[in-house]
Amino acid sequence: MATQIVMDLNGDSRHQFDPQDAEALAKAERRFKELTGAGFIAAARTSTGESRLVRSFDPNVKETLFFPRLVGG
Amino acid sequence: MFWLGRQASECEWRARAVVGLFRSARNANTPEVRGLRLLRSWLSPAQLAQFDAKGHFDVVGGESGKKYRIKFGICANVLELSEDGTPKVGWCVVPDCCLVAGDVMLAQKIALETFESAALAKANKFGAPAR
Repeated sequence: MATQIVMDLNGDSRHQFDPQDAEALAKAERRFKELTGAGFIAAARTSTGESRLVRSFDPNVKETLFFPRLVGG
Repeated sequence: MFWLGRQASECEWRARAVVGLFRSARNANTPEVRGLRLLRSWLSPAQLAQFDAKGHFDVVGGESGKKYRIKFGICANVLELSEDGTPKVGWCVVPDCCLVAGDVMLAQKIALETFESAALAKANKFGAPAR
């Protein structure tokens, strides 16, 4: 199973999907495009404590984190 | 100067209190605990150890190699460190919607490690406290 984690007012929301399931995969890809289209930044963990940005949907990523765009505070 | 030093020590006291609270409420499902749980799961072992001990953790800028300290908080909580580890300048850059501290700190960590200059271009700079 793969997981998409979206930061929100509740801390985060998690969406799990089976990358082998075509319908679930399409839904996950739609979610990826909607979130990044809305300005969310997607990141994945490469190994413990290391992360990288994910520019386009990758079904092989086990855990993708989405956080809102950053602004000056 | 006295006020800044006092504010810094109060921040560290608050951070230690929050880490202690997290330990005692580890199984709770509040947004604050969920945010801290997510943050902890994305920290490197060294960052996690530092966070547990001191309530803050250091990250290395992915482009400049500069060191930054992310303190517990939701704004004005990123300090750029000089080579001797003392705070040089503060940066305020946050997600553009209301998130709990753990989420904000994780977004800041990823930003500094993966798109440092773009993140700092959006940040507001402030004078760093004494510690």
